[in-house]
Order: sequence, then structure tokens, then C-alpha cells
Amino acid sequence: MAVLEVSGLCKSFGETLAVDGLGFSVGEGETYGLLGPNGAGKTTAISMIAGVLGRDGGEVRVGGQRHHPAGRRTKAMIGYVPQEPALYPDLTGRRNLRFFARLHGLAREEAGRRAAEVLELVGLTGRGDDLVGTYSGGMARRLNIAAGLLNRPRLLILDEPTAGVDPQSRNAIFDAVRRLTADGVAVLYTTHYMEEAERLCDRVGILDGGRMRAEGTRRELVALVGERDQVTLRAEGDLGAAVRALAAIAEAGEVSEREDGVELLVRDARAVLPRILAAVTGTGASVGSVEVREPDLEAVFLHLTGRALRD
Amino acid sequence: MKVWIIAGMNLRRTFSERTNAFFMIAMPFLMIFVMGLLFGPGQQLRLGVAGGDQGPLARDLVTALTKGERVAVEPFGGADALRQAVERGEVQGGLLIPAGYDAGLRGGGGAEVRYLSRASDLRSLDLTAWVRSVVPQEAAVLRAARLGPFDESLAAARRAEAPGVEVKVSTAGEAIFPEGLGAFSVSAPSLVLLYTFLSSLTAAVGLVALRRSGIARRMYATPTPARTLVAGEALGRLFIALAQGLLIMLGSALLFGVDWGDPLGAAALLVLFAMVGGGAAMLLGSLFDKEGPVSSAALIIGMGLAGAGGTMVPLESLGETMRSVARFTPHAWGYEGFAELVRHGAGVTGILPQLGVLAGFAAVLFSAGVWALRRALIRP
Ligand SMILES: Nc1ncnc2c1ncn2[C@@H]1O[C@H](COP(=O)(O)OP(=O)(O)O)[C@@H](O)[C@H]1O
Ligand SMILES: [Mg+2]
Repeated sequence: MAVLEVSGLCKSFGETLAVDGLGFSVGEGETYGLLGPNGAGKTTAISMIAGVLGRDGGEVRVGGQRHHPAGRRTKAMIGYVPQEPALYPDLTGRRNLRFFARLHGLAREEAGRRAAEVLELVGLTGRGDDLVGTYSGGMARRLNIAAGLLNRPRLLILDEPTAGVDPQSRNAIFDAVRRLTADGVAVLYTTHYMEEAERLCDRVGILDGGRMRAEGTRRELVALVGERDQVTLRAEGDLGAAVRALAAIAEAGEVSEREDGVELLVRDARAVLPRILAAVTGTGASVGSVEVREPDLEAVFLHLTGRALRD
Repeated sequence: MKVWIIAGMNLRRTFSERTNAFFMIAMPFLMIFVMGLLFGPGQQLRLGVAGGDQGPLARDLVTALTKGERVAVEPFGGADALRQAVERGEVQGGLLIPAGYDAGLRGGGGAEVRYLSRASDLRSLDLTAWVRSVVPQEAAVLRAARLGPFDESLAAARRAEAPGVEVKVSTAGEAIFPEGLGAFSVSAPSLVLLYTFLSSLTAAVGLVALRRSGIARRMYATPTPARTLVAGEALGRLFIALAQGLLIMLGSALLFGVDWGDPLGAAALLVLFAMVGGGAAMLLGSLFDKEGPVSSAALIIGMGLAGAGGTMVPLESLGETMRSVARFTPHAWGYEGFAELVRHGAGVTGILPQLGVLAGFAAVLFSAGVWALRRALIRP
């Protein structure tokens, strides 16, 4: 069952149509990525879904229930992690967490216990009693995520959680997200990093100018634009014969000889790879290495919008 | 319950911040102490006198001036030394008794004494009032003495003087500072008002930070209704103002022995004035989107109203125009209310007009503040 269902979501700021008829859904244990450049409308969309920003139109359902900005039953199911760490810098990490836990309705002792748990989850147990003002950017972002986990949400909303963090914190964030989805949490994740969406998300929605341009698994999106995988073989022997043998494979597109091997474009390289190898070794050539490059979301974005994801 | 958690958070954060702790805790007491020394009636006034030992009549005048123990006379050798001492503030006023004072009076002619006062020195004003009331009395006695043989008539006139009648320093016929009132009892109420309001406004920076940091949004992302958030923040502002006021009131009672008079009246004044401060803070904190302008506005408004409302220099020493201007500030009404309680032992019923006006200020500012904060905290 879908934990989050969004349809026809709209919001404009004066003349700017920030979100325009957005619709998608996120299932249990699924990580859904909203991928788009700065100004695409990611934060606006996410704020409406979290219920902290009113919407002009559309419907949001969480756990099958209609979700209004003032809806407390649905908010109890959502963990919201804003783009910029929203924390009191003059309080300790633990104190911040206890405060927000109380607002989630946890009793005093329970709030203390839960604060300790989420600190552990994001790897900040050792720094829990330091003032947030003394944290590094990455630590503040991890605590920001921890605060979104206090209520054991069914839906976790993360707005660009890795923007400008060190690799260590980034990995800690990825690990935390993976552990949560393993427990069945639905994650809605926005980013303008293509690699992140590819690495972390089960499905991706490509957002631009407030509109959903395309949606699906990475493979679906790539197939949508007819991109083929690029296979590069390093080989020694009669490379001309190898090229002819490869061209005979039905799925193969352009095949070309290179200085130290051959290169070809092919749909679904993973499926065809055994036959590719067989064809090359059949000519008596020896294969040193094989590299398969699947087309990335960057290419998809470029194809859909005519612009690069990052300028 | 959540309302209290949010309000408590406001209070704790405001007072635990290091600079706030200095400005809200240490500063007020320092100010009470300093202002008590400056303006308090417990201080002796020093009057410099030149030419006071030339004869019995001059000595009589000086004696008359030292009656009542509030004024200490300090003799000076000449007019120049006296003028210098007044200029430097070593004495609050100077009386120059001309050479030939005694002779002139005895001879049936008049005598003119000159008085030097200090501009914009409240204690000097106080002393001037005293000298102005003593000298004419002495003059009256001397005039009577001229009706017959001088010395006999003078003795008779002095006897005729009603014994035990003491001239008190006064402006409108009623003592501003009743005798026996501690120096700090005059400055403390002013500072309660000044600081309760000023600290409230200064702490309004916290409301801006709350919005800018996204914490307000995060709070609203929890299952907490908007009205609870606003109520919590509003109560927090009230707590901050009350804590500041209470801190000064209790602290000054303990440290400086200030007697706040009727507890019920004092509590009513403090609560209403805290609502005024809290309401103004919410308005200010909702109006601006950046912390900088709030800080500056807090200082300007906080000090401006305190000055106009007579809590920086006593309301009684302000001119007619300034006094009518003061009526438009909540400070002046608070000042009057506390003056009635502290100086004249009034009870709640004695300060009903002041409480009424303050309640009006509180109702308008607090509800406007809540309205503005609701709109600023959670944008549609
Ligand atoms: N509060 C606001 N007032 C006016 N315009 C806004 C506001 N918030 C966002 N916008 C505009 O809406 C568009 C989408 O912004 P945003 O949702 O922040 O994009 P993203 O998060 O994808 O970078 C942008 O053009 C932005 O300028
Ligand atoms: Mg954004």
C-alpha cells in the first residue's frame, strides 16, 4: 500500500508557479527521489506535503488518510527534515531532540529515551551533550535528520539532506536512510545530485519548473529516452574480426574499434554481456577487462528539458 | 501541556544566553544602585556658602538652611572658589552672602544673596527648592525686625516663629519623596518598568530567529495545532517580561531593602505591565524578518518610551509638556502606580486609574501581538 499519495498539488507565489499539478506516490520501504535543479519546486512541494505550507490545490494522502496542513493524525505519521537544520544552536543536541519529542506528544522520560535512540541512529551519541552551535555542518545535518525520526514516522521527508556535507556525514546519512527503508519506512528524498538519486532511490521523479517531467525507476527513465548502455572491452588479438563478430549480435548498435579494444552501444548490456564476451573470445582475442556504462539521469534530464541538471 | 513546554523553552533560552544574562540580571541591579545614589532622597545635599561667618545675621541664615538635616553646609572662602565647586558638582548649590550683609540689614537697607545652581542636575533642583523656601522665611523675620529697634524686634520675631514648623522640599505642596524613604525605593520602580519593557523587546529577536531558522515550521510539522504554538510563544513572552520584573522587584527588596508596598497592587501592576511588554515584543518580533532591525528598534523604542514615560529621570522633574506626553506611555502609568504603592502606602483601590489604563494598553498590545505572531509564525 502506498504510504504517500499526492495528486494535482499546486502552489504559486504571486506570478511564480512553484508547483504545478504534481502527482506521485511512495510505497512502504520505498525511497522516492524528487530530482530537479535549484528552483524546481522541490522544497515547496515537500513543505506542502509535510503540512507546514498551505497549498493552492491538490490532495495529499498519508497512510490512506487525507492530509490537511492542520491535520494532526497524519502529521503524527510524518517525519519532516527541512533543508536547513532547524535547531536551537544554543541548546545541546539532546535538549533539542527532547523538546521536539515533547511536541510529538512523548512524555518526559520517553522523550529522553527516544532522543538517545535517534542520536545513536545518526551516529551522534558522543556529541549529544554538546551545544548544536559547536557542531560541524555535517553533524548539524545529521541531528536535523535525527529530529525527523523522533516520532518513528511511516513517511520520512528529507529535503536535500546532503547539500554541502562532508563524505563521512554523507555516508552516515545514506546508511541511516537504508536502515529505515529496511524497516518499512517510506522515504521521500529531494536532491539536485543525480548520483545520489541513482544510488539511493528506488524510483525517481524528475521535477523542473514545478512540473513532473518523468517518473520511474532509473532503468525506466533511461529506457524512456531510448538511451543505450556503452560497453567497452579491452582486448588483444584480431580486433577487426571481433568487431565483425559483435556486429552480428542482433541487439548491438554501433560497434567501433579502438586502440586497445572495441566499444559498442547496446540495449540492456547486462542481459547481452555473456554473448558479447563469447563473440569476442570466439575470434581468438583475449579480453582484458569489460566496462559497462549505463546512461545516467543527467542524460535523461538533458533529453527532457534540453538543459543540464547543474549549470 | 505543550503550551507550557513551549513557553518554558522561551524563558529558559532567554535567561541562559550569556549576554542576556548580563543585561537582564546584572545590569538592572547595577542601575538600581547607581540611580539610587544619583537621585535618591537619602543622600545629603551639599550647599556651599561663602560669606556665612561675617556676623550673627549671616550665621542665622546658614543655621536656618541646615535645619532638617538633609542639607550639609560647606563654607567657602570666596565667590570664585564657590563657583568652581558648584561647576564641578562638588556641591549641589552655592549661596553667596555678600560682604556687608549684616551691616546692610542692621542699617535698615536690604541685602541681596546670590544663589548658584547646577543646570540639569536633579539634586541641585532639589536643593534650590529648599533654599527658595528657607530664604523667604528668614527674610520675613528680618522684615519684622525692622519695625522696631533691630535686635529686640529680631528676638521677638524669632520667638514668634512657630516652634517645630519645618519647611519641606516640595513642588506641589505634597512631598514627592517622603522622609525616611530609602534611596533605592525611588529608583527601583523606575527600573522595573524600564527593564521589563526593554528586555521584552530585546528578547523579541528570539521570535525572528524562530522563524528564520525554520524551527517554527518544524514545530508546526509536529502534531501541534497552530493555536497551541502561538499560545506557547505568547505565554513565553509574558514569562520573560514577568521574570525580568519579578527578578528586579525581589532582588531589590532583598539587596536594597526596597518596600514594594501592597503586594496585590504591586503584582497587578507587574502583570499588566508585563503583558504590555510581551505584547509589544510579539508585534516587534513579527514585524521584521531580520534580527538586526529588531535589536535596534528594541533599543530605540525601549529607551525612548522609558525616557518619555519618566522612568529615566523622575516624572516629577519633567516639565508640563513632557508630562502630558508621558501620559501616552504605559511607563508613566506604571510609574504613578508604583509611586502610590511605594511612597504613599496606597492599596489596589488607590491605583485603580493606573491599573485601568495599563489594562487598556495590555489588552490592545497583547491581542495585536498574538494576531501578528499567528500570521508571522505560520504563513499560508
Ligand atoms: N516564499 C516564497 N516566496 C516567493 N517565491 C518563492 C517562495 N518559495 C519559493 N519560491 C519560488 O518558487 C520556486 C521554487 O522554489 P523551491 O521550492 O525552493 O525550489 P527548490 O527547492 O527545488 O530549489 C522558485 O522559483 C522560488 O523562487
Ligand atoms: Mg529547496
